[in-house]
Amino acid sequence: MSGAAGLVTMLDRIGAGDRDSLKMLYEATSAKLFGVILRIVIERGEAEDVLQEVYITVWRKAAEFDATRASPITWMVTIARNRAIDRLRAKGSRPTTSLDEAAEVRDAAPAADTMIDTANDAKRVDAALGTLDPKHAAIIRSAYFEGLTYEALSDREGVPVGTLKSWVRRGLMRMRTVLEA
Amino acid sequence: MTELDDMPDGSDAALALDFALGALDGAAMRAAELRLRRDPVFARDVAHWQDQLSPLVDEVRGVSPPRQVWTSVDRELFRAAPARAAAARTQSVWATLAIWRGLAFAASGVAAVTLGLLVSRPGAAPVVVPAVAPAGKLLAASMASTDSAKAVLITATYDPSRGAVILTPAAADSSRGLTPELWVIVGKNPPRSLGVIDLKDPQAHRIPGALRAQMTGGATLAISLEPAGGSPTGQPTGPVVAAGKLTAI
Repeated sequence: MSGAAGLVTMLDRIGAGDRDSLKMLYEATSAKLFGVILRIVIERGEAEDVLQEVYITVWRKAAEFDATRASPITWMVTIARNRAIDRLRAKGSRPTTSLDEAAEVRDAAPAADTMIDTANDAKRVDAALGTLDPKHAAIIRSAYFEGLTYEALSDREGVPVGTLKSWVRRGLMRMRTVLEA
Repeated sequence: MTELDDMPDGSDAALALDFALGALDGAAMRAAELRLRRDPVFARDVAHWQDQLSPLVDEVRGVSPPRQVWTSVDRELFRAAPARAAAARTQSVWATLAIWRGLAFAASGVAAVTLGLLVSRPGAAPVVVPAVAPAGKLLAASMASTDSAKAVLITATYDPSRGAVILTPAAADSSRGLTPELWVIVGKNPPRSLGVIDLKDPQAHRIPGALRAQMTGGATLAISLEPAGGSPTGQPTGPVVAAGKLTAI
């Protein structure tokens, strides 16, 4: 069983109460989700708590997963990001990395995660981001990966919130144009 | 293709993008989550952006979590002893409900409707709701508010052909800033969330495809009050304010 179709099958079975499928799903996706969570919740123990919450949520909400509306990995990443952002916001502030560090992570080796079929899409998104002003692309990555609000990004970058929003929206609209071309 | 001019601050298009990106602050994010569950157009916009952004995740290096995390998940969900705390919390709410389910069954004298039942105020009289009874396999449940012995909080009519529950609030919203969440309970199974709802206006609430099989005569619908955005655990965490059985009408 591999790829997105395999994940869909696992989620279907989990929705029907199959524990073994939850274990399989965990083995296939936990490293990726842990990586995503660690970008947002830096403290490792807390990130582990969040990861645990994510799979408990997946177990309980698997029956709500609708493969016609989202890819399985998008659905799970959304849960992971939301949980991690909740944790982050509940704590108040966090140390923020600079854009230079964010750029370093971008260059890190991609995960050898064969269960997740987004490698080609990722190259396309990366290429699309590459067409943007590097600063705008970095802001989009920061918002997405670090769970920072516009306000927090605005403080960190010393740019008015309105300007920042406009960069992000312009950037994403442009990305979409490139991706749909 | 949405143009930038179509995406002013505060517009739905901008909100969908901001939400998918995760850049909203707490209150705005909660409001958007609620909206997401009730507004299919908004949900589609959000899904579109989430889909577009999700390949970015490939830039994140996978990090193997310690074995302990799976052990905790397994223990929390499937092992009896440590799950006791969670079960006890749920039971305090749902054991009460089971009693009242029985009462409602005993008291239902009108074929077309069930009786509203008062979970936390056993002394109050159930309220019979006259059914507007269309033909077909519609199922209805009437639920009385625990805040007011007289008022039916909400009438739920499930229409299998639409896969939606039509919720008709009959009393003022008394959720006091908490988010009402709708649940279905079949037999002795744990409650399954049908999503957060609004007690202010009549609405059609879509039931997720995979849960439609649960919407059968005899299943119990219940409403609990949850933190903004809905139960964080997937099980009811707040007080049950209303419940009633689905009955064919």
